[in-house]
Amino acid sequence: MLTLDETTKQTQPATHAATRINASLNLNFEYEAATGNTALQASSQEPPLKVVRAFIVEDGSALVHVHNVSGGLLGGDQLAMSLEIGENAHVQVTTTGATRIYRSRADARPAIQRIDVRVAQNACLEYLPDPLIPFAGSRFTQRTTIHLDAGAGLFWWEVLAPGREARGELFAYDAVEMKTDIFALGSPIAIERVRVEPRLYPIASPARLGEYRYWATFYICRVGIEPGEWLALEQHLRDVARELSPAADALWGISTLPAHGIICRCLATCGRDALAGLHKLWRAAKFTLYGTEAIPPRKVN
Amino acid sequence: MRASPPASPALAYLQLLHLADSALPIGALAHSFGLETLVSSGLLKVSDLESFLRGYLEESGMAEATFCREAFQLAINRGKHFSVERWRRLNASLSAMKPARETRSASAALGRNFLMAVSALGDFPVIRNAVEDANQPSNHQHPRVIEHSLAFGLVGGALEFREESVVVAYLHQSVASLVSACQRLLPLGQTAATQILWNLKPSIIETAKRSLSAHLDDVCCFNPLLDWGAMEHPALGTRLFIS
Repeated sequence: MLTLDETTKQTQPATHAATRINASLNLNFEYEAATGNTALQASSQEPPLKVVRAFIVEDGSALVHVHNVSGGLLGGDQLAMSLEIGENAHVQVTTTGATRIYRSRADARPAIQRIDVRVAQNACLEYLPDPLIPFAGSRFTQRTTIHLDAGAGLFWWEVLAPGREARGELFAYDAVEMKTDIFALGSPIAIERVRVEPRLYPIASPARLGEYRYWATFYICRVGIEPGEWLALEQHLRDVARELSPAADALWGISTLPAHGIICRCLATCGRDALAGLHKLWRAAKFTLYGTEAIPPRKVN
Repeated sequence: MRASPPASPALAYLQLLHLADSALPIGALAHSFGLETLVSSGLLKVSDLESFLRGYLEESGMAEATFCREAFQLAINRGKHFSVERWRRLNASLSAMKPARETRSASAALGRNFLMAVSALGDFPVIRNAVEDANQPSNHQHPRVIEHSLAFGLVGGALEFREESVVVAYLHQSVASLVSACQRLLPLGQTAATQILWNLKPSIIETAKRSLSAHLDDVCCFNPLLDWGAMEHPALGTRLFIS
């Protein structure tokens, strides 16, 4: 296992020989100057992870839908996804539906998902997945490492649901662990270390979620923008967030990162409020940072 | 003035009490680390406070205690060969784990003030090295920070205190500081505040014990409501605290 110390030293996407990967998805995107579009240049795919094709978005970005054909992750699954966004390329990645984490057998290891990302100079990645839904008795570990080069942009959100709400299944999972490291020019700008174990530590504690059920994080980065501009964007996004749901339904926190970005956090009673708010903050931030409209990824639904 | 490392357990005990006292002039009383927002929004009440602080210890307290130990080890293991690079990386990593700008600034201010205060008490090589590094110019995009828990651990190691005592003392002063903030924010009397802090001592010891076997990469922290309070503190109309 990497130590935090080793993690902060690494400047290349890690190879994880110690972890046995039984399925991986590797996607490389390149900007094509002749057309002004971004294309999926190379990919390697192993079931259950699947990308059918890349679609061209109106602004020239490439859009891919990551599909887990098995419907979700089982205990012991070890999935890996690698995204390489070449210079000047603009990419949207979304999922075809919620990521479901199925109940683990008592003797099974947690379901593990690794995501390694590099966004090259002046490229931009918008990672906009559906929520993660951990079923009762499930155990899940996600490790994400993102490297941003000069001028690179990132819009990256994740939403953690309490479980299968419609079945009345709330926080019945064993453990969800999400570890995310974001580096800009080799230095850490965000290190997220979250482990939620509702059976061991009360989730409704006023120090944790209180009466809220959903938890979302949204990283907005563009390397090289001055601290003063981030402070202005922090205030702008806070103003946007004020117009969202009432505090009883959702709380929105906005703060600058140590450098090169902003983090938005949401606690919500309903997943719809979290997702709607994320889209509004994304639109506002995209327009400020790029002067262009955010284009929601096209989906069947 | 030159101060030697503590010559006796009794002296070490008194020095640690002194450094962990909330009256140490480093500015701790000016920060609520997001509590002010939670109270102002009605999300934290006196009746919740003990449970809240227990959750704080289990998450943020555990993370800070683990880093405090790392700094302690850095001071005692490296001796004169203090690794500035590792010191910087630890501080940068812990800072990057804190989502709220004001919390990062508060911890960095307390850490720096703490280190400066101790450096004025005597000449300790490790502390001198850390202070010299802190005074180096840094990149405005990646400003150099000194986290309070790391400074506390480093000083504890440099002064040759017992590691367990240092970690417990750090956690106790941080919880005492939050209780003190709550006395100014909530209808919390001295007797009730004292009782809460008294009741939390086993949790403080338990957190310190857990941190003993924790690896840096195992450190996790899930205090989303407190994070929210700290992130939105700049938006409060009237504020008693800096954070």
